[in-house]
Amino acid sequence: MALRTMGVDLGSTTAKAVVVDEAGGIVAHRVVQMGAVSRRGVAAAIDAVLDDAGLERGDLGQVIATGYGRRLVPDVDRTFTEITCHARGVAAMCPGAALVIDIGGQDSKAIRVDEVGLVDDFAMNDRCASGTGRFFEVLARALECRLDDLDDLALAGGQDLEVSSMCATFAETEIISLLAEGEEPTDIAASVHRAVSARTLGLVSRVGRAAPVVMTGGVARSRAAVHFLAESLRAPVIVPAEPQISGAYGAALLGLESLQGETRVIGQAVDREHVHTGQQPNGRDCSTCSLGRAKYQPIDVELWTASIAADRRP
Amino acid sequence: MTTQTGSTVTRMQTTRAGGQMIADYWDNIFTARERGKHVVWYNGSALNPIFQAAGLEWCHGEAFSARLAAQHLEGPAQLAGAEYGYINELCSYSRTHLGCAVLSNGGGPAPGSETGVVDALDQQELASKLPKPDFFVNAYSGCSTGQQWDEMTYRVFGRSIPIFNVSIPFLWGNRPDSTYMAGQEWDEATDYVVGQLRELVTFIEAQTGRPFDWDALSESMSYIRRASELRLEGMALCERKPTPATYWDWVASIAHINFLPGDQALVDYFASVRDEIQARVDAGVPALENERYRLYFDGIMNWNKLGWLAKRFAEYDAAVIAGRYTHSSFWQEPQLIDPEDPLRGMAQHYLLCPINHSLKTLNYLTLRDCERFEIDGLVFHSTRTCRAFTNPQTMLASTAREHLGIPAMFFEGDVADASFYKDDILESRLVAMLESIDVRRAKAGV
Repeated sequence: MALRTMGVDLGSTTAKAVVVDEAGGIVAHRVVQMGAVSRRGVAAAIDAVLDDAGLERGDLGQVIATGYGRRLVPDVDRTFTEITCHARGVAAMCPGAALVIDIGGQDSKAIRVDEVGLVDDFAMNDRCASGTGRFFEVLARALECRLDDLDDLALAGGQDLEVSSMCATFAETEIISLLAEGEEPTDIAASVHRAVSARTLGLVSRVGRAAPVVMTGGVARSRAAVHFLAESLRAPVIVPAEPQISGAYGAALLGLESLQGETRVIGQAVDREHVHTGQQPNGRDCSTCSLGRAKYQPIDVELWTASIAADRRP
Repeated sequence: MTTQTGSTVTRMQTTRAGGQMIADYWDNIFTARERGKHVVWYNGSALNPIFQAAGLEWCHGEAFSARLAAQHLEGPAQLAGAEYGYINELCSYSRTHLGCAVLSNGGGPAPGSETGVVDALDQQELASKLPKPDFFVNAYSGCSTGQQWDEMTYRVFGRSIPIFNVSIPFLWGNRPDSTYMAGQEWDEATDYVVGQLRELVTFIEAQTGRPFDWDALSESMSYIRRASELRLEGMALCERKPTPATYWDWVASIAHINFLPGDQALVDYFASVRDEIQARVDAGVPALENERYRLYFDGIMNWNKLGWLAKRFAEYDAAVIAGRYTHSSFWQEPQLIDPEDPLRGMAQHYLLCPINHSLKTLNYLTLRDCERFEIDGLVFHSTRTCRAFTNPQTMLASTAREHLGIPAMFFEGDVADASFYKDDILESRLVAMLESIDVRRAKAGV
């Protein structure tokens, strides 16, 4: 059977699963909305993506878990943080990306990425849900509309009502007060989006601006969120076709690379070996490497091998 | 890669035993009244050598709050403080201690009144333990809350207890000749604080009715100077790879250097610490079984989680080695201490509080220690209710990244309020930073 690996990203509100082939191409992917860190959600996502790919669990070479609930994913070969996986996934989805902004259900992050998808720096939101997908759920509830309706409302808004970006709970109170004062729902929706963008800009400032900017996570599906973020950054924002699966995709790629012998640490070891030997340890030529570019200097592979050998965690 | 390999911290026997010294110290305070001693409550700078020479018993408010938090006993005091009006956005050290003041005073400004939120058992337990002060001394540098803290306590006790305030000026470091511990500003600030310390001695003489024992102060400061030298010798041994001791060991020794009496026992303690570390070096025993990362910790300790954090970092083979709170504080420049002229060196250490510097100096201290201990990454404890410590943290992270190319992580928490902290957030960010350290190493071909 051809080599297949799976990445599973268990976030705070959704479970994502991606299966890739030996060239790093996506065979199947699923996003399952099952509420807060849910074992049923992750099982549903895994079952669905395996079904779509026509595979059994035992057919997979590696299963890598990531995300807030990565330790809840059963029978995985190893875990990586969502920071590493998002960077890796975005580098494959949008080659050349320099700044990744990921806004999920309960957290947001800014990741500076180097030219081959390795993390240079990152910043995450604090414990507050402000500036995350949760913020938009609060908005929809207060405006008594569907989440999907927020885009049109916000994009039609003009006046900036300066909604607080500090607390999702207080923002709900603020929104209700604004409605009571007779403010337009369109202006309120636009103002909340500006507040989220301002919060995100704070994260970006901690890692430094860079371009191209790629936005991922569930909030990236919102046209309004992308619009206001681009306005705030004064730069175009690229959204991959499937912005929610970048973490799971990155996890699957990391699993693939470890099986192909390309990687000791997130793929960079193979880059050195490309430079150093002109081929991968498994005998494949560089064109099959999912990173594809070889820019680093040779490393001491023995040292890395020893480092990995010391890693006793499954 | 950055997954756990399950190192454990080999905790130092000396610091473990040192816990008894601290327990004995507090037990001594709790019985001060029975022994007819004057009690002073103070905050901020380590004025204890002056109190020791004056024959007083001294209670450092922050230290007592930290002790309660470390023992998970802070709740009743914080409830009492909240009932009195000190909300949870206020420094958790101060509201814990203010809560103790409320309880010590019977629940409110009127002696004998009762608190409604703290049950009688807790109230009795705390109130009976910390004796009421005979007077207050405040000498807080770099923190506006700290500078008002004792005045708040003064009001809790109905403005009936004398208070003396020592003003410690902030070191802006912005004059042309300003450098770390040098320049006109440094000299002028030193003179200014020394003058106030002389006035403090006069105040204490008035309170006790006894002449101040200057010889006792010189003796105490000579012990403290020697203890500090030994502490620094132990820290210097941690430049080795792998480190023989960790930041957590130095945290366990903060109380000793910060407020225990300056005497032979203090010197003996730090001699034992130094000797145990040296013995580890000689025997090739590392603090962690498998040190893979060397980290710097910026922030006041999250006292509720001290043991947990030490274990958690070790599980990822991350040796936390140095920190601003341990290595840039607490009599850390012993060469400034002249037992023949003790007030000057004391004043200078009060000025050297790690929240009393401009960014220029903090950058210098951070880079100095990161280079000295060959640090791979910085951990910033973003202390929710201590803005004085957290204010420069993002700038310090940027400085380390730009000058040394090392990454940083932030986690939220608090000094004495566990509600601001979450394990999962710390762990995610720690692992992400360790992964980015791996990336940097790989890029550098290390």
